[in-house]
Amino acid sequence: MIVCVAVVGNQNNPVYLQSFTEADDALKLHHIVHCSLDVIDERVNNPKRSGPTLNETFLGLLYPTENYKVYGYLTNTKVKFIMVTTDLDVKDADVRNFFRRFHAAYVDAVSNPFHVPGKKITSKSFAERVSVIVKSFGSTAA
Amino acid sequence: MGREVSESCVEGLMMEVVSAYSSRLYPAKPDLAARRIEAIGFQVGHQLSERYTMERPRFSDHLEAIKFICKDFWSELFKKQIDNLKTNHRGTFVLQDNRFRWLTRISIDPSTESTDESTPDNNAAQATNMHLYFPCGIIRGALTNLGIPCAVSPDISNLPACSFVVRIKA
Repeated sequence: MIVCVAVVGNQNNPVYLQSFTEADDALKLHHIVHCSLDVIDERVNNPKRSGPTLNETFLGLLYPTENYKVYGYLTNTKVKFIMVTTDLDVKDADVRNFFRRFHAAYVDAVSNPFHVPGKKITSKSFAERVSVIVKSFGSTAA
Repeated sequence: MGREVSESCVEGLMMEVVSAYSSRLYPAKPDLAARRIEAIGFQVGHQLSERYTMERPRFSDHLEAIKFICKDFWSELFKKQIDNLKTNHRGTFVLQDNRFRWLTRISIDPSTESTDESTPDNNAAQATNMHLYFPCGIIRGALTNLGIPCAVSPDISNLPACSFVVRIKA
């Protein structure tokens, strides 16, 4: 089950942050997202370890904490998508699929002429699309 | 999710944008009109580059990004690729399009070019340049979104071919 998704811009500014858990640990999830930004920077600036996957958008599992797994995705325009999930066995293909649909929703939200690049995304339809994608993540994994 | 409009609508809109900014909104200030049109192009290029780089892996250097602009980006926008790309390997690129789609309706009057070299030629050149500020803004917006700050200027020394000179800010 996905507990949190986040979109972070190229200046590491938060563009969209949404947690999907009823419990009150939204702050902890935000903290996890913030720490994962460092992991992404380290992965991108150290190409010696990731030879063939240097230019891929999907960064994979960033780091596992005690209950959560954090996945990252970096677009061509240096926008980072971060997904925190509590599932213990998550198929790689499912996460890639999730990020692909999330990227499509993000592109549509940013193409809004009233959206100021760099500011937070305030579109309700984007929030609805994201919650649909998040809900269907669990069912395709089964 | 995509709805389409006919290309003549886009061309009509471009002509009206240039005419509105040049004659109605900023009649005596062509530089300001040019800057506003270029700023609109900048935002459009910013958003379009987000959309057209979706499926692709990341670019490794500036040349890859410029080649993306010349091939995929240009063919999405104008259904053809850039015909000629030149570089001086020190941060300047010249993108030449031998038949730029949005300039095909502009007439090239050979008589004024041969006789006078001062004002009439400048007027025609300035009017044509106005139509090129929007594509310059698109290129600048796309490159800036890919992490390459630059300055783009149009060059119409030989119509109907037009060139865009991209200078990367080091």
